[in-house]
Amino acid sequence: MKLDKVIATRSDKTIYRDGDVIIKVFEKDKKKSDVLNEALNQARVEESGVQIPRILDVTCLEDGRWAISMDYIPGKTLAELIAENPDRQEEYLEKFVDLQLEMHTHKVPLLNKLKDKMSRKISETKLSATVRYELNVRLESMPKHTKLCHGDFNPSNVIIRDDGKAFIIDWAHATQGNASADAARTYLMFSLNNGKEIADKYLSIFCAKSDTAKQYVTKWLPIVAASQSVKGKTEEQEFLAKWIDVVEYE
Amino acid sequence: MDNKTATTFVDTVEALEERLKQIRIAQQKFATYTQEQVDKIFFAAAVAANKQRVSLAKMAVAETGMGVVEDKVIKNHYAAEYIYNCYKDTKTCGVIEEDAAFGIKKIAEPIGVIAAVIPTTNPTSTAIFKTLIALKTRNAIIISPHPRAKNCTIEAAKIVLEAAVAAGAPEGIIGWIDVPALDLTNTLMKSADIILATGGPGMVKAAYSSGKPALGVGAGNTPAIIDDSADLKVAVNSVIHSKTFDNGMICASEQSVIVLEKVYNQVKKEFKERGCYILNPEELDKVRSTIIINGALNAKIVGQSAYRIAELSGVKVPESAKILIGEVTSVSLEEEFAHEKLSPVLAMYKATNFEDAVCKAEQLVADGGYGHTSSLYINLLTGKEKIAEFQSRMKTCRVLLNTPSSQGGIGDLYNFKLTPSLTLGCGSWGGNSVSENVGVKHLINIKTVAERRENMLWLRLPQKVYHKKGCLPVALDELKNVMGKKKVFIVTDDFLYKNGYTKPITDKLDEMGIMHTTFYNVAPDPTLACAKEGTAAMNAFGPDCIIALGGGSAMDAAKIMWVLYEHPEADFLDMAMRFIDIRKRVYTFPKMGEKAYFIAVPTSAGTGSEVTPFAVITDESTGIKYPLADYELLPNMAIIDADLMMNMPKGLTSATGIDAMTHALEAYVSMLATPYTDGQALVALKNIFTYLPRAYDNGPNDAEARERMADASTMAGIAFANAFLGVCHSMAHKLGAFHHLPHGVANALLISEVIKFNSSEAPAKMGTFPQYAYPSTMHRYAEIADFLGLTGKNDKEKVENLVKAIEDLKSKVGIKKTIKDYGVDEKVFLDKLDEMTEQAFDDQCTGANPRYPLMKEIKQMYLNAYYGK
Repeated sequence: MKLDKVIATRSDKTIYRDGDVIIKVFEKDKKKSDVLNEALNQARVEESGVQIPRILDVTCLEDGRWAISMDYIPGKTLAELIAENPDRQEEYLEKFVDLQLEMHTHKVPLLNKLKDKMSRKISETKLSATVRYELNVRLESMPKHTKLCHGDFNPSNVIIRDDGKAFIIDWAHATQGNASADAARTYLMFSLNNGKEIADKYLSIFCAKSDTAKQYVTKWLPIVAASQSVKGKTEEQEFLAKWIDVVEYE
Repeated sequence: MDNKTATTFVDTVEALEERLKQIRIAQQKFATYTQEQVDKIFFAAAVAANKQRVSLAKMAVAETGMGVVEDKVIKNHYAAEYIYNCYKDTKTCGVIEEDAAFGIKKIAEPIGVIAAVIPTTNPTSTAIFKTLIALKTRNAIIISPHPRAKNCTIEAAKIVLEAAVAAGAPEGIIGWIDVPALDLTNTLMKSADIILATGGPGMVKAAYSSGKPALGVGAGNTPAIIDDSADLKVAVNSVIHSKTFDNGMICASEQSVIVLEKVYNQVKKEFKERGCYILNPEELDKVRSTIIINGALNAKIVGQSAYRIAELSGVKVPESAKILIGEVTSVSLEEEFAHEKLSPVLAMYKATNFEDAVCKAEQLVADGGYGHTSSLYINLLTGKEKIAEFQSRMKTCRVLLNTPSSQGGIGDLYNFKLTPSLTLGCGSWGGNSVSENVGVKHLINIKTVAERRENMLWLRLPQKVYHKKGCLPVALDELKNVMGKKKVFIVTDDFLYKNGYTKPITDKLDEMGIMHTTFYNVAPDPTLACAKEGTAAMNAFGPDCIIALGGGSAMDAAKIMWVLYEHPEADFLDMAMRFIDIRKRVYTFPKMGEKAYFIAVPTSAGTGSEVTPFAVITDESTGIKYPLADYELLPNMAIIDADLMMNMPKGLTSATGIDAMTHALEAYVSMLATPYTDGQALVALKNIFTYLPRAYDNGPNDAEARERMADASTMAGIAFANAFLGVCHSMAHKLGAFHHLPHGVANALLISEVIKFNSSEAPAKMGTFPQYAYPSTMHRYAEIADFLGLTGKNDKEKVENLVKAIEDLKSKVGIKKTIKDYGVDEKVFLDKLDEMTEQAFDDQCTGANPRYPLMKEIKQMYLNAYYGK
């Protein structure tokens, strides 16, 4: 395993390529359980038959950093493709939604439950008791499903291989649950990172293709916004607060 | 605090479980209280809540930051006073209803522990309401307050609790969660006996999924249509009055007004003049994006003033602005103004006509107010059709007319028959179990104590039964002298006609100068075609009296003609519909006797048809037999004259005589038998056992035997016309139909088997009729034996002797022993046995039999009767 070719760096990890292998090396302070959990999630998804990069190895480097090795997929992310071909945005979004919907047809029974995760996230927020109560009531009333949800499904996590085949990467946040929550999460990421226009476009395509009412997806927004607020990016907090502080009708 | 009233502070699931234990003990004690004790507590609690109405209102506004103190005072006042007034005299303990004659009693019992979810919008008034109705119904209640309003909600509950305990209620009968959290609410809902959930759809859904019965209410999105016939001043000011009440936080409050084009500008002007603010398009957009975020209501605007909401939206309006009105066109959820807004923000639509307005209202209700409330302003006198249309199309459980919906929906303020309540059921449309305003009746279990009662029975007969050998001309006298009849239609059969049996009648009629005609084309087992032919003749002749002369066939055919003559529209299939109880039958038989008076004159002894409400007709095209039964079919007069029976051939004497015997036997042991029919049946049997052999042997030479048999036949008819028959006739009907045996013979072949079958003291199943309390038919047969002078050391032996006597009688009158003896082919018999069995089981006569026969038992009796056992 040669760690000399860096292909990306993130706040908590560096990604290397060694021939046909990608090595994700996490920073020292990353919790061992998070790394193992990511590898375990990815292995479970892989075994369920979804075509994704295969886990090849999980190891602890001599300097104490943890690393996960997996298949290298030669190609570009959908995010790169959209940036390079803005005129084909619509087409890429369609492909993006098709891929997400296909993923939602899979079942991975051993993954964590989306609802449990959201509930935990709500309790970790700094929101007032009243708002947390409202959020919990809202979460409780949502239908419980067992669809494979990515948890961070955005165009930078989709690689289009040179032969055109799509691979979903980064399964750290995968759960099983309600697909609309997964879509709400994607909508939120678009809104935060790419703006309302593309977010709305995405949502329209998702709802049309999945035959889902928009309200059904937007009902999840306060919850996914609350879960995002835990991550503590200060510049996002005001935006998120606005989405969170809503009430159910009485 | 007094030690005794100390209760667990509820901040964890464990503490809640502890509190639930305490409150269950308190409730068990409360369940034993009398109405008087409860009413005293209810009164004291209502008074205490009423006294604190202002302080509680202030507390609620201070804590939640929503609403208007003065309006909350009204809500608290309402919750105490109107609820007390509504239920002060309502019985909620013990026997609340009793009907001694019918032997029925209703007893109210408490349900146990109520879980009450209280919303932020009405945090004190709803708490008062729910605790009061819980006290009135001897239930314990634990409140789950909303975290935003917990202090005022708990305070309201405490006030009611302290007053209740001071008036004698068990300590701690009202409880609450001190530190609200969803897991506590869920635990409470799962542990309670019933849930009174007021809140948003999420909470209501949680309540329904807890597995406990829930009275939940949901979202409202009340549309108000203002028709062009409405009193516009009343309409606009009612909407303002309602929408501004507590800053629009009542769930029944109007969310949209839909105004007919013709009066739109006037309505808009009136809104403006009364201090509402109409947003311009730019302001409208600002308010839009403030009130609804991603399709959900912004928590910051709930219960705020119009001015404050405008301010949050960056719109400048006068501080006194009452309502922010947005003129919008879309009724879909994409339009923020089409949502429920829980604030003084109102959507205003222009409708091209009333139909358009109703369509818009339908969509707004579908958007988020299924089952709640809708409202219409209209001229009640001229708008009846529109009101009918509106009320039929609104899927809302309250449809309010010319009424401010906030105050109107909660009841007793603008209509005094609408139950006062702060929990408004939304029916199945809103996912609720109740569709009306929730009240005490929903918090009690009602036990119904029902005593055993027996059915009323009756004795129904022709108005006149004239009998004596030679009485015919005397009886017919009154056709002229009393009734003034003009035209008589005689129905008889070919044989009787040709042998002069009608002559005594026609002579008499001629003598009296009454016109007559005779239809004599009746064959045995009369067909519908025959009846129709007779009816055609009847229609042509137009009689005011019908005389049926003959045996069962002629009398039945005449009855059917009578029905067709009086009611050509009647359907046989309907009239022949089977029933369990003739008084509860689905079909109402048409009224008979309006065109013609019906006289039956039997020439055999006999079917008894002259005194029975039965007739059978066969549809020759399908082969279906229609057995009709209704007291409307009773002849008006029966004339029993043995002169007409003197020359009956032997075979007919025997078959009809035995038929009469089975009538009497079955009527006597029928579950519907009464002392009134018993006497008729017994005397009939005595006559038959004594005189049938003589009539058979001596024929025309024994006038006494003929007359006694004539009487016996009619008396047996009277008995079974009222007590009905049994399984012997069920089986005989099908045996006769399947294998072409004369009806009397078929009965004769089966009756002994049936007597043995019915005599069982431990039958597989007994018949269902309150009068028939336990299997006792053996004793009934023994009574017959006694009356006939047959002896025996016990009932069993007497019944054996009765069967012997019957077999003896049968052989005396030439009846063969078995079905086989009558030449019924064994293979044919066995092939048709199952079908015959099933049809016999389903025969109308089976219902009155004291032993409810299983099909295999019927089959066995058929087999026994076939081979002889």
